Amino acid sequence: MQNGTAIQVQDLKKNFGNFAAVRGVNFEVQAGQIFSLLGPNGAGKSTTISMLAGLLQPSGGDARIHGHSICQELQAVKASLGVVPQDVALYPDLSARENLEFWGKMYGLRGGTLARRVDEVLEIIGLTDRQKGKVGTFSGGMKRRVNIGAALVHRPKVIIMDEPTVGIDPQSRRNILDSVKELNRKGMTVLYTTHYMEEAQELSDQIAIMDQGKVIACGTHAELVRIVGELDRIDLTLASESHVLIETWYKTPGVHSLTPQDGQVTLLVEDSNLVLPRLFDAASQSQARITSVNIFEPNLEAVFLHLTGKALRN
Amino acid sequence: MEIIDITIKDLKRVFKDIFSLVMMFAAPLLIAGLLYFAFGGLTKGDVTYKMPETKVVIANLDQPAAPGFAAGEMMVEFLQDSSLQDILAVSLASDESSARAAVDSRKAGVAIIIPPDFTEAAISPDRTAAVSIYQDPTLTIGPSVVSELVNHFMDAFSGSKIAAQTATGMLSSRGVQVSEDVAGQIAQSYAAWQQSSRHEEKKAIPDMVIVSPAGEVQASVQKAVPIGLIVAGMITLFVFFIAGYGAESIIREDEEGTLGRLFTTPISQAFILSGKFLAVVVTLCIQIALLLLVSALIFGISWGNPVTVILVSSGLIVAAAGFGIMLMSFIKNSRQTGPVMGGVMTLLGMLGGLFSVAIPNLPSSVDKITLVTPHGWAMQGWKLALAGSSPIQAILPVFVLFLMGFAFLAIGVILFRRRFA
Repeated sequence: MQNGTAIQVQDLKKNFGNFAAVRGVNFEVQAGQIFSLLGPNGAGKSTTISMLAGLLQPSGGDARIHGHSICQELQAVKASLGVVPQDVALYPDLSARENLEFWGKMYGLRGGTLARRVDEVLEIIGLTDRQKGKVGTFSGGMKRRVNIGAALVHRPKVIIMDEPTVGIDPQSRRNILDSVKELNRKGMTVLYTTHYMEEAQELSDQIAIMDQGKVIACGTHAELVRIVGELDRIDLTLASESHVLIETWYKTPGVHSLTPQDGQVTLLVEDSNLVLPRLFDAASQSQARITSVNIFEPNLEAVFLHLTGKALRN
Repeated sequence: MEIIDITIKDLKRVFKDIFSLVMMFAAPLLIAGLLYFAFGGLTKGDVTYKMPETKVVIANLDQPAAPGFAAGEMMVEFLQDSSLQDILAVSLASDESSARAAVDSRKAGVAIIIPPDFTEAAISPDRTAAVSIYQDPTLTIGPSVVSELVNHFMDAFSGSKIAAQTATGMLSSRGVQVSEDVAGQIAQSYAAWQQSSRHEEKKAIPDMVIVSPAGEVQASVQKAVPIGLIVAGMITLFVFFIAGYGAESIIREDEEGTLGRLFTTPISQAFILSGKFLAVVVTLCIQIALLLLVSALIFGISWGNPVTVILVSSGLIVAAAGFGIMLMSFIKNSRQTGPVMGGVMTLLGMLGGLFSVAIPNLPSSVDKITLVTPHGWAMQGWKLALAGSSPIQAILPVFVLFLMGFAFLAIGVILFRRRFA
């Protein structure tokens, strides 16, 4: 293990019966980084972090967190981690403060230290005024903030966040993303899983893209985007599906790849200014009507499409 | 220390939950009280059942042929006897119609009409003596008691006839002819002796007492008072229920995600389960202590030797907590807990005899069946405690309860550890 490496995952595997959920995952997270695991649902992100958090035993491979093996030194690993589960995992009939105190105690905090840490965390999550309110009476966004706070009370070196923004309103989402950045600024290493490309793009120093239990690409945002080169992404919506038109578009010069999905067609093209008129001509000849057009600069969605042949949102 | 933190957290949740509080304290006392009053208990801890007084009006029309022996008058005296004063208020009517009118106007509950030939019929071997009983149809117990007493009295005359016939037969077989008058005198003498001996018997009859349905337990157990047993039954039932409900917190925490989160902390699974088990035990301790105290104050129950009570309570707590953990280890999700717990706890309560403690004179086999359940052993313990038994006398049920509790707990822990492995 090198100095400054917070998490080192080596050939990590997990099988459930005959199903291989994680198939030899490798990545490394430097201390103080925000590292995102990006992938669609079922890619193996949650299974990977469940193994790192000690909830699942690996079927193969190992991982080290600040030098401690998850296979051999699980207690030490757990003590250095803060885990934010995907779903809110709090006691609804206890107050926000009682919840934070309880989770702090589970990491051995007591007395004045515990009280100070709880005050700090309440400040971070912006719920000092509501600390005596029962969590069960809170809005979804407030619950999510307490859910994150419960993982921070013991000041872990590494915090693992499993899709913490799923199913919440944009304002709460913004609040959580800002909190993650703030924690990182204070020196905390963050391992973040998401299937939202924008979140990974905004937060991460490093991103590992996962699909079907494997890491298919890993690097900074810029490095990943370079995988697709200078390709532009064009999303076209058709009034009605036309297999003939899609075949014609696929053969159109300049089109690198094409993915039809639910009436929408996503294309990676070399130069959108040149290719787009050709696509419209073909549609006109096929008497198909295009109802919307969107052109995107190269991004992680395009990378995922390029690597897997399918859209990330699916 | 973290075990205690988990225990305290679970206790906070239990004591903030209205449903838990109702099931823990209100329900057992309320149901015990209802059962107690349903079975006639109206006074604090009193075992004597006072029957309401029945007003009886007698029209004695009996006209004996010869002076000296008057069966009708004997019946009146019998019913006016001081030993029956608490249950009968006897008055006399001059004729049959006024006796019946007293019942019709609800001034009396029962009218007894003794016919003019009553004495003649009573002593004559060939005739049947009969009285008419006219009762208020809305009454049940009082008229039944009067009827029984009259039958009791009439039995004496049947005996006198048999005595006269037997004496006549024996004398005839020895060649002595007995006249009808002599036979009548024999019958009168027997009837008079019978009635006077009945008087003596009656004086020895104590107040009517309902004794506890203790079955074949030790003799001392039969002194236990019914309200004590009813409350003990309800305490046992609801202690098992609360133990199951407390243990259900493992399932609820699993569904809430907090159990999974606990598993990400440095606390071992064994410590987490121990903390939750301890919470169940402490909850049950508080529940039993308060129920014993409150029931003693409300119903005037004397629970017996404190050490015996503590031993029985401890056995019950361990058995119930272990059973709760084991039961929950078989349950997949919290949707199943309601029906499973309701069904299992009610069935075991019935098998354990918790609902039949107030029923007197149950066959001894019922008591044996109850011992297949921890509930039955708990009731054995309570019966001994209520009878004032020493801790040594109660050691068997306590030992069995501890044994069952640890066996249940072991099964539950093994199954839970397998589930969360």
